[in-house]
Amino acid sequence: MISKKLAIDVLNESLSTGADYAEIFFEDSTYYTTSLENGKVETSTSGSACGVGLRLLKENQCVYGYTNDLSKKGLLDLASSLNKSFHSERLITVTKLDMIRGKNRNPVTNSYDCISREEKIALLKEGIAEIEKDKDPRIVRYLSYFINNHRFVAVFNSKGKWFKRDSEFGRLVFNVIAADQNGFETAFEGPGCQQDISYFKSKVDVVELARKTVETALKMLTAKECPSGKMPVVIGNGWGGVLFHEACGHALEASSVAKGLSCFSGKVGEMIASPLVTALDDSTIPQAWGSIDIDDEGNFGEKRVLIKNGKLMDYMIDDFNGRRMGRSGNGACRRQNYRYCPTSRMSNTYIANGKSTPEEIIAATKLGIYTVGFNGGSVDPSTGEFNFGCSEAYIIRDGKICEPVKGATLIGHGDEILKKIDMVGNDLALGQGMCGASSGSIRTNVGQPTIRISEVTVGGRGGELK
Amino acid sequence: MKYDKFFALAKEAGIQEAELYISQKYEVSISLFHGEIDNNSVNNGYTIIARGSYKGKFGTATCDVWNAEKAAFLVKEIVANAKVIENEDPVFIFKGSEKYTKINNFNKDLALIPLDDKIKKLHELEGALRAYDKRIVEVQAVEYSENANSITLINTHGLKLVHKSNYYVYVGVVAAKEGNQVKSAYDLLLNNDFSKADVKTLATEIGKKAIDQLGGEACESSTYKAVLSSDVVSSLVKFYIGHASSEEVQKKSSLFMGKINEKVASSKVTIEEKPLARTVFARWFDDEGVATKNKFIVKNGVLQGYLYNLTTAHKDGVTSTGNGYLGGGKMDVDFGFLVMKPGKKSLDELFAEIGNGVYITEVSGLHSGMNPQSGNFSLQSTGFLIKDGKKDRGLDLITVSGNIVDLFKDIQAVGSDVRVFPSEVSCSSVIVKKIIVSGK
Repeated sequence: MISKKLAIDVLNESLSTGADYAEIFFEDSTYYTTSLENGKVETSTSGSACGVGLRLLKENQCVYGYTNDLSKKGLLDLASSLNKSFHSERLITVTKLDMIRGKNRNPVTNSYDCISREEKIALLKEGIAEIEKDKDPRIVRYLSYFINNHRFVAVFNSKGKWFKRDSEFGRLVFNVIAADQNGFETAFEGPGCQQDISYFKSKVDVVELARKTVETALKMLTAKECPSGKMPVVIGNGWGGVLFHEACGHALEASSVAKGLSCFSGKVGEMIASPLVTALDDSTIPQAWGSIDIDDEGNFGEKRVLIKNGKLMDYMIDDFNGRRMGRSGNGACRRQNYRYCPTSRMSNTYIANGKSTPEEIIAATKLGIYTVGFNGGSVDPSTGEFNFGCSEAYIIRDGKICEPVKGATLIGHGDEILKKIDMVGNDLALGQGMCGASSGSIRTNVGQPTIRISEVTVGGRGGELK
Repeated sequence: MKYDKFFALAKEAGIQEAELYISQKYEVSISLFHGEIDNNSVNNGYTIIARGSYKGKFGTATCDVWNAEKAAFLVKEIVANAKVIENEDPVFIFKGSEKYTKINNFNKDLALIPLDDKIKKLHELEGALRAYDKRIVEVQAVEYSENANSITLINTHGLKLVHKSNYYVYVGVVAAKEGNQVKSAYDLLLNNDFSKADVKTLATEIGKKAIDQLGGEACESSTYKAVLSSDVVSSLVKFYIGHASSEEVQKKSSLFMGKINEKVASSKVTIEEKPLARTVFARWFDDEGVATKNKFIVKNGVLQGYLYNLTTAHKDGVTSTGNGYLGGGKMDVDFGFLVMKPGKKSLDELFAEIGNGVYITEVSGLHSGMNPQSGNFSLQSTGFLIKDGKKDRGLDLITVSGNIVDLFKDIQAVGSDVRVFPSEVSCSSVIVKKIIVSGK
């Protein structure tokens, strides 16, 4: 941790050539990963990450640097190296720093630091025992991981604010590889939380998780290839929300909206989705995977309504990109760690519940596919073109879920696909993922109830849908 | 920096053999938007990975600040981590190869060129992109970045190896619009010789890529003969060669299992790993300190051998091929610069050879649309129809699907249009007999 006095000195050195904002981001994190391969502990690694990122702004220009040299000299050298980008008179002098506090919705108990490696391994082995019980010979490899991270951050800025943010999170993963004479298939389950270890002990059924991973891998091994072409697609709840994350969420971040580079720039108040769609980005959900009390600019987390009944209401905004938009940040400024310059990002982003039951949605679909497992995706926010891969899917025929199919990828334009959502379920769930963008890889929840898209392009190797 | 303290503490703690892998990275980057600098960063950071054998098991720990407190932290964590390892694999801290072919491709002159000259070229790039075509409606970003990296390996056997590299990258991203259709394109150039920073050619390539995509629409869903661009081949070849990892073979999850000296590709396909080529990607020792060497992985379609680190080599009773690379604190099997042998036909001759089919220029979404184990893929793509032996209208919103090994077996011809990609691949366009396209 650096002292307030040193922080003031570094901020003032940063501001000496005319920057209109300066911010110090100090981070001291510890992390631990253990991985088991076929039931045996193969690797156990731990580490610490400690450094300072310094950001200077002047109008629409951003200057960023980081260092691992946390001495007074190291930090002042960084400040004087970065301030060379500006050449005018000092505008601001920082004389004091007042602490601000968030609502502490994500309390830290140090639980991961307090339990032994053996205890975490024992948790994984509960699932491993299930995999090894009457093991199907087609299961050729089974991997499991436990990852936990304790992250302490302190931010000091030239608005005279400083704050601390302490967070801890964990993730438990099972990954099973099945093989037969026709090839390989894999299945993955990986729940994560921003809660203490008790979450994994009491709320995650590790045995069921392992069983489900095996079941999916074997099911996909014998599944037929997914048909291709344009067709109705029912997307299951929870992780299915990666569709909205890719097709729309990224294009609503100020990092692309502010410069007019998003297909949704300048469209607040316009209908951009079906009237059935209401979507939110909510960083205030207590202890959720993507929640933050205070963002990296000192703005408090918010429950942002992005789309209400199809109408675009707002974006995810950070202070810097907000300058081009004439807006202040709304608590969406995030980064992976001190090595990344922060920008506007999603937190817990989801489509809100509708009125249909999942059963009604399936029953109303004569011929299409039903996707329930997902690998992730990507998007080009300027064109809105997105893709996402499905790890588990089924044919829907005459309103019934039929045979499993594998290898489906959905593609489309975000602005068109949102208008084609014609049924929204009432079974909202969230799924934990990692989202990569210019400020690094961060924790985000995706989410939605079961939804139906009337027509989307599906890529697969199985020929025409019949 | 002094690392003696770490080795002394490790010895006291009962760590028989220990090693430090120190990666130092210095990066400067500048980007412009509408002629003004909008982002400028200067980064200087370390990553230190410590490995040690304690009672015959490996422990690993990392940090990025170096002082006595962190040295003690690494030793404590190595011991604690080693204690829980159950894997029976032997552990190796390497004494050193008999001979190293040292490659010094660090260009000291790059850092001496004034930053203003580098920024001037950035303005030239932005100007050339705007001037390329009036349908280029926005230059979304132009960026210059310069990296100087060093890797130092020190261990208790007295081995000390240092490798330095540097390079710069110019990147441009544009959006083109016609009617309601918007298409984006980007490309980059990477080198460490500033005299080769030809930003005008880069601008032409990016501009052409964007404009060519306008007016495209999906084709009928069907199976087509295809030309895959060098860009697409560079994306796919790394997944393909990943199956040559001895670790994947030993763990029974490789499509190349039991295939040494067998056909795994068409006879037109020859792929070498060339870590000793004089490129910005050169590496003369791997992350275990083993001397790297150039080697054929696939020659005329036949698999020549697997890639090994010290542990997997010991299991198979062979020597390491210098392919031990750290990933997430674990010594994985990986590879460096891949070179696919070019053929003699130009891109136009490839189009003429297939007559009618598709030309796939880009694929995206590899992390979700490619199953690295099964090799099955279904990927968002762009490209063109090929009609009567010539490039025809653009293709928009299509996917291409197939299996990676089947695809390399289906290569009918390799082009002469070699490109070197920042992903450490040199390759050219190819003809494949069939690929499944999903469109209308």
